[in-house]
Amino acid sequence: MDQQRKHSILMVSDFFYPNFGGVESHIYYLSQCLLKLGHKTEPDLNAFAFKIGLVVVMTHSYGKRTGVRYVTNGLKVYYVPWRAFLMQNTLPTFYLTLPIIRTILIRERISIVHGHQAFSTLCHEALMHARTMGYKVVFTDHSLYGFADVGSIHMNKVLQFTLADISQAICVSHTSKENTVLRSGITPNRVFVVPNAVDTAMFTPSTCRLSCDEIVIVVISRLVYRKGADLLVEVIPEVCHLFSNKFHVKLCLLIASSVKVRFIVGGDGPKRVRLEEMREKHSLQDRVEMLGAVPHARVRSVLISGHIFLNSSLTEAFCIAILEAASCGLLTVLPDDMIVLSEPDPGDMVHAIRKAIVMLPSIDPYAMHQRMKKLYSWHDVAKRTEIVYDRALQSSDENLLRRLPRYLKCGSWAGKMFCLVMIVNFLLWCLLDSWQPVESIEEVPDLVFIRNENEDVVHDSI
Amino acid sequence: MMSEAPIFHSKYSYHHDGKAQQLDIHEILVKRSRLGIFLSYSMVVVFLGTNVYFVTTKVFCILILTFFEVNIRSIWSILVCFLLAKFLHYNPVKKERVVIMPAFGVQLETHYWSGRIVRLFVPISKILSSMLNECVTPVTCYWSLALLLRDEGELMLVFQLIRSVQKLQPPLKMLVPVWKALRAAINCEETSIT
Repeated sequence: MDQQRKHSILMVSDFFYPNFGGVESHIYYLSQCLLKLGHKTEPDLNAFAFKIGLVVVMTHSYGKRTGVRYVTNGLKVYYVPWRAFLMQNTLPTFYLTLPIIRTILIRERISIVHGHQAFSTLCHEALMHARTMGYKVVFTDHSLYGFADVGSIHMNKVLQFTLADISQAICVSHTSKENTVLRSGITPNRVFVVPNAVDTAMFTPSTCRLSCDEIVIVVISRLVYRKGADLLVEVIPEVCHLFSNKFHVKLCLLIASSVKVRFIVGGDGPKRVRLEEMREKHSLQDRVEMLGAVPHARVRSVLISGHIFLNSSLTEAFCIAILEAASCGLLTVLPDDMIVLSEPDPGDMVHAIRKAIVMLPSIDPYAMHQRMKKLYSWHDVAKRTEIVYDRALQSSDENLLRRLPRYLKCGSWAGKMFCLVMIVNFLLWCLLDSWQPVESIEEVPDLVFIRNENEDVVHDSI
Repeated sequence: MMSEAPIFHSKYSYHHDGKAQQLDIHEILVKRSRLGIFLSYSMVVVFLGTNVYFVTTKVFCILILTFFEVNIRSIWSILVCFLLAKFLHYNPVKKERVVIMPAFGVQLETHYWSGRIVRLFVPISKILSSMLNECVTPVTCYWSLALLLRDEGELMLVFQLIRSVQKLQPPLKMLVPVWKALRAAINCEETSIT
């Protein structure tokens, strides 16, 4: 069997640990699974021509956390000391990040640059510089964006620029693919759909089943407009009123309800004040518990204290929170027997909650957890991402003159501006190459982490 | 006589003498840059000339507005020239030497081209470990060798070249033998104590 070439991946995003979120955990879990795939020792006849040797993450510094850090399994993270200026994004400088990105790409012998999240300025700059230097680039979009407001129009133009010359793109759902293709104008056959997954080992159901005398509905999300916090303000009092430990006989529905419903709301945000006001207004202090911001490590303990998980988001590209809840055995969103969908309207949501309460006794949390384990797994995501990398590596190397026409298609004025930006970037790269040649940048030696009985010892394997 | 073949890279050269009177001596020499000398002296001349020009202009100025304008221009020019002179200032370090005295301590020496030598001795009992750090700045990454000392909050850099004005950064292949020798000396000391 031919010896497999080892390739190194650079993941770039403004969003990484110690920040917690969907993008952060996606990058972390994907990197860990890619590292594990790369260290497989048994020969795989269906393996690709290359093998993942190294995964490096690049992000901006978080407070005092700056420099190089090694996290689990030797995943190397560069916290570049560029300060975040708005919502964890680095200041967009266009060309000032070129020296550090070039240094990292050369010293780590990177083959593919994988950027995450359209909202990340560091990601866009890194992909631009990587393309100028001739590296293969892959981009993953994690969110849905609109088309009408000024912010979205600007963001879509930036995305159009980045995706004009991308090797391959990944979206986390088919809806997200449609949204990305419409926003950026990229050809659909260059966009792969690789869904997110959930760490089912961390999100397991509770060992003892909760009693159904009192139904607990859990809501964990950022309390912002986009996550439907305003809908919650209307839905919670109505549901509490309907299921308030009184005997109801509804002739039209033929339901005798003697259950009491309680809510646990975790998360923080600008809309929290509205929820607190709702609590006071309807005197629901004993039935609605507000937990505030819940650290990610405590999310599971909150989830297993409930029966139903309610997600009221107006838009979601791919909702990992729902997967986490389903993995813990809560009744949520998914295959028809695991999900109850509704329109983003309070009346419809109340009806859906009522339906969920009726379905509750027939739910087996462990069976749900096992199904989730098979359907959504990070190892599967990593294998599918490897296919995308393989396709990206097979694309041809092109010089600047052949790449420039792609930018001209972005618009009559914007296209010319983008071309100018890329030409200036190319000239700056040539200047940097002559000032600091590639030979003067030392490559990092391979480090092998050997776990001793009492301590970890790092050995230089070269 | 040097015991190992020297290593050369760009403006640095590494020499190791492991047999001189039971001392382990590691040296990193820095080549002089003629262009650096010329540019730094010419920048000093420009800096002084600008200062003299604007000071004399100020003396003959009558109007407050003009005085203020000249002040701003002069401050800006002085600042720019100062920064250029500082940046291109000729680095006077000739070589950095690490002398490892087994079971006794480590002596760090900095030799300047002017003839001045700065020495710093660290007893072996004070050293917990030596480490190679990857340092990241907004524009570059480089390696540095540092000592972790007992009861000290800060790491001690072995090579002051990192901290010098011109930010000279010896390559990793020169730092690794020094790091290994320091670790060997520290481990020997620990086993002899236990």
